[in-house]
Amino acid sequence: MSFSRRNFLIATGVAAAGTTVLSACGGSGGGGGSSKDNVPSVSGAKTMNIPVGSKSDSTGPAPEVPGAVKGGTIYSLDQFDMDHLDPAQIYVSTEGAITRPILRGLTGYKIDNKGGATLVGDVATDAGTMKDGGKTWSFTIKDGIKWEDGSELSMDDVRHTFERLFASWVTEGPRYVQQWMVGGDKYKGPYEGKSLDSIEIDGKTITFRLTEARADFNYTLAMPGYNLVSKKKDTKQKYDKRPFALGPYKISDRQIGKSLTYVRNEHWDPKTDSIRNAYPDKFVFQFGFESVASTDRYIADRGNDQYTMSIFNEVAPERTAQVLTNAKLKKRVLTQVDTVTYYWPINTTRIKDVKVRQAINWAWPHQQLQTIRGGKATSELASTILSPVTPGYQHFDLYGVEKKPGGDPAKAKALLKEAGKVGQKVVIAYQQSDNAVKQAVAIKNALEAAGFKVVNKQVDKSTFYTQIGKIDNGYDLFAAGWSPDWPNGYSVFYPCWSGKNIGDGRSNYAQLNDPSVNKAIDQASTIADTDQANKAWGAIDRQIMELAPVVPDYHSIRNWMYGSKVGNVIYDAGNTCVALCKLYAKK
Amino acid sequence: MTSTDQQTFLSVRDLKVHFSTEDGVVKAVDGLSFDLAKGKTLGIVGESGSGKSVTNLTILGLHDRDRTAIDGEILLDGKDLLTSTERELERLRGNKMSMIFQDALASLSPYHTIGTQIGETYRKHTGASKKEARARAIEMLRRVGIPQPDMRVDDYPHQFSGGMRQRAMIAMALVCDPELLIADEPTTALDVTVQAQIMDLLKDLQQEFGTAIIFITHDLGVIADIADDVLVMYGGRCVERGTKEEVLRTPQHPYTLGLLSSMPSLEGPVDVPLNPIPGSPPSLLNPPSGCRFHPRCTFTEKVAGGLCSTEQPLLDLIDGRGSACHLSLEQRAEFFADVAASRHN
Amino acid sequence: MPRFLVRRVLGALVILLIISAVTFWLFYAVPRDPATMSCGKNCTPDMLAKIRHNLGIDHPIPVQYWDWLKGIFVGRDYSGFGHCNAPCLGYSFANNQPVLGTILDRLPLTLSLAFGSAVVFLIFGIGTGMMAAVKQGKWQDKVASSASLVASSMQIYFVGYLAMYLLVAKLNILDNPSYTPLTENPVSWASGLLLPWLVLSLIWTANYTRMTRSQLVETLSEDYVRTARAKGLSSRNVFFRFAWRGAMGPIVTIFGIDLATLIGGAIITESVFSLQGVGRLALSSVNRSDLPMLLGVTVLSAGAIVFFNIIVDAVYALIDPRIRLS
Repeated sequence: MSFSRRNFLIATGVAAAGTTVLSACGGSGGGGGSSKDNVPSVSGAKTMNIPVGSKSDSTGPAPEVPGAVKGGTIYSLDQFDMDHLDPAQIYVSTEGAITRPILRGLTGYKIDNKGGATLVGDVATDAGTMKDGGKTWSFTIKDGIKWEDGSELSMDDVRHTFERLFASWVTEGPRYVQQWMVGGDKYKGPYEGKSLDSIEIDGKTITFRLTEARADFNYTLAMPGYNLVSKKKDTKQKYDKRPFALGPYKISDRQIGKSLTYVRNEHWDPKTDSIRNAYPDKFVFQFGFESVASTDRYIADRGNDQYTMSIFNEVAPERTAQVLTNAKLKKRVLTQVDTVTYYWPINTTRIKDVKVRQAINWAWPHQQLQTIRGGKATSELASTILSPVTPGYQHFDLYGVEKKPGGDPAKAKALLKEAGKVGQKVVIAYQQSDNAVKQAVAIKNALEAAGFKVVNKQVDKSTFYTQIGKIDNGYDLFAAGWSPDWPNGYSVFYPCWSGKNIGDGRSNYAQLNDPSVNKAIDQASTIADTDQANKAWGAIDRQIMELAPVVPDYHSIRNWMYGSKVGNVIYDAGNTCVALCKLYAKK
Repeated sequence: MTSTDQQTFLSVRDLKVHFSTEDGVVKAVDGLSFDLAKGKTLGIVGESGSGKSVTNLTILGLHDRDRTAIDGEILLDGKDLLTSTERELERLRGNKMSMIFQDALASLSPYHTIGTQIGETYRKHTGASKKEARARAIEMLRRVGIPQPDMRVDDYPHQFSGGMRQRAMIAMALVCDPELLIADEPTTALDVTVQAQIMDLLKDLQQEFGTAIIFITHDLGVIADIADDVLVMYGGRCVERGTKEEVLRTPQHPYTLGLLSSMPSLEGPVDVPLNPIPGSPPSLLNPPSGCRFHPRCTFTEKVAGGLCSTEQPLLDLIDGRGSACHLSLEQRAEFFADVAASRHN
Repeated sequence: MPRFLVRRVLGALVILLIISAVTFWLFYAVPRDPATMSCGKNCTPDMLAKIRHNLGIDHPIPVQYWDWLKGIFVGRDYSGFGHCNAPCLGYSFANNQPVLGTILDRLPLTLSLAFGSAVVFLIFGIGTGMMAAVKQGKWQDKVASSASLVASSMQIYFVGYLAMYLLVAKLNILDNPSYTPLTENPVSWASGLLLPWLVLSLIWTANYTRMTRSQLVETLSEDYVRTARAKGLSSRNVFFRFAWRGAMGPIVTIFGIDLATLIGGAIITESVFSLQGVGRLALSSVNRSDLPMLLGVTVLSAGAIVFFNIIVDAVYALIDPRIRLS
């Protein structure tokens, strides 16, 4: 029985609060537990910095991709159709990626030919103007932006896009803007005839008034969940089936669960778009292909499959060794370390002694767990909370992950002794799945070797996150993970490590409430300069790790394969997915 | 009826039917000869496995040709059936010669109506239309005494009673007025009243059409009722032949004597114990040496030199009467009389 | 015969009602909350309640079942998503479509797979079985018997991938399996499904070879077959009208069961060949906790299986009057 990737993600981490599902672009199939050490280690790790671009960066057209040609059709082979196409309901990065060619937001990420990303204005002339230290944001809309029916994008459309986020049926998209808007707590959406006063329109400029200073609000707006919706064409719940296009393509055919076809939107003007190149004439996304099937077709590379890439399907675990050890095949693999970090929060309300928590970190069997997951090809060991590709990442290794990847029981035991806690009981919660069981056993063995007493408790998969998300959960250690919603430290540290986010259903699973950490997070949030902010976030990572409220386990590595005639397959660091709008079909 | 009717219609000459099995060769019939004239009935008597059914299936050519080795001659109206092609046999079967099987329920197709099963034989051999065949089937059913035949003709065998099924089976066998009818224990499964009715039916039909009948049974009482001549088979061979009176009154073979002793006599006293033949029928795969009956025979020691276990007695026929036994005629007259006396006393 | 059918259809409806109730209860009673799966980051209890309400799972189970049952006969309104016409099997929020429409959209593929391969394996299986029975004990029989033993021990997820690798990727003889509706283009319908048909047939043919052979060996030695020969009927006539007629009943019965297995096994078959039929729909519904869809697929598949069984029973009754008339 093969599990869906979606379910695998839920099994590995981060579901309830949706996280990985929401941001990860797929997920590694997770191997079968056999050692894949013969597979070469691949790593696309490269510390990213995503700066805010200037007005000229925001002005179209997008720079040409060298060697790219117009025309042709690009196909995809993926396992699942998208659950949502209505931006208000989009959180999952695959849904964000697939709607990139048809939808546009106020801001977006411009990908250069080296894979670097810059935040620019998408339909806005630039990446926004901040006032009041980030409590007021204004965006001016470019001229000549047209919907697929030729009508011009109106300011009503822009207002409506943000107001409809408050409708009661919008439950799945991101909720940042809703929480930050002044009056947002009482607003029920535009369908009852009321508008939100904190959105002000002046000519072609929209101004947002926020309850708190959000220096990175323009990054937040780059989330696909904030892409624009036509007021006239808003069919509410039904909009999910067929959103109205503003981008270079529009939906020409959709067979839910089977295929989705884009053709050119003739009303899109490349001069208004600095992000999208739009080389192919057509996209045909095909769903219903298990990763083994898609990988085999990529390997065979026949017919239309030569013009095919996957948004979701990665190289099947069964084929990883074959693909990555064959130079010819490996050439057609896009390898990327994900922004997600899988980690094991330690319940700091139960294990209060820092030394005990550090001892768990020292004893951690990183390498054994990696082997169970399927080896080095699909994950990189983690010693930090931030992923190497998240801006702000600083490399450090406080607990000897690199020197002793299998754990250092002696060091751990010494710390336990020092704390006088030898024989400390640790209750581990893990989900029902083959790999999870094996991992729980490996962890138990490692911790017991270091002098802990371990109790493993299996928790039902579907309620796992509800359970560990409770304040009085009765567990000391449990698997979770997080990936940032926009590329900076705030989007990692605020939700998961600020004392403000302790509570049932909140994501500070470790329930860390450290005044100095809280303060540092609050301060860093308001730093307007990206470089300085990144430095601050990197320091916070280290500051938290010194308190050891978590064991960082691994950063996942994604390997997407594609056909030989797909040109310029690059990673969109802003959206953590393949950059569809940069592809072209080779002649 | 002239003397030509008395001419031999069916002649079986030194018939040998051997099956090859995984364990060896089964000699089901091992040198059998007999003649049958039209209008006459030959009763073949023997235990199961004596070769009587195999003989008759071979006459019809219903044996498994791939696994059977056959030797001898079977002449039907002068034509050798053993050298005939399957096509030729198909034309004869059900037409010139037909057979009534023992278990009518198993032998009639459960998937076709009685009328179809009777009619298709008729159509096959006469080229009649469906309608004609149906009319003929009704007529045949009436003739064998099925009430309301025009209604029952569309019934399936499982809707008939046992006796009616047997009648239907007879109707089917007789639909083309066959000249040779082989009846393989046609009354075994039926109760006595029905049995008698069916025997009468066969006799009537024989009188009407002059059919030659081979009547296979292990029941000497039935033989007494219907047969003209009797052929006793044992272990694939004929051990005694003669007219019904000769065989039943003065049996010449200890086996025939044994068969007679094992059945109640209508004439004698009721309280005389029956004497079943001790032992079991011989294995045809590995038959006893000498006389095949000798392991079960009570007279073996009466024959000098242990001949019974070493030498096969020959069937000694004079005018169609005789037996295959090492005992001299005098010895038999003496010993058998004792047995007969004990039965009649 | 009509009474026989009416009786069977009524029984089938009762079975369906029970299946739907049990399935409903199972799906909705397990500690699996579809709401949590679609609740985003920072999922608050308030948010969860909203989602539950939107999914219609905030009522007691009997009420939900009653609404569902009622929907089949009178249709149902899903606020915002529109009206779902009777017979309404529910609305899939994950798919954003009425359940029935989606299933009916996928059904032709699953049925094409099942019946297409059935035609192939029935022809080959029964043909080979007949040959083996007629040539009993000869080399043809031995070859057929041992080949079918090997083939029947194969599994779809092995042969399927292997066949695709060899015939599609390596030798380029066939195309990747695909589905075109029969009504649209019969040629591409057949050529797109040829590979799955062949693979399924390879596996299933063997069963029918063995079954046909053993059934025929049995019926060929039946007394009534001998009688038919004794009547002078030609051996061809005897074989088909008597021996085969008798062998058909059990084969039809097994075929009825196998058809259910084929449709049930569509999950694996369709996954192996990357085809989007009802099996994949069921699988993805499980993965997405799309309970309305899963319920619809379950009930409809159960319905299909029950329906096929009635057909099989009817065919059996046509073949064997003893069943029809008793």
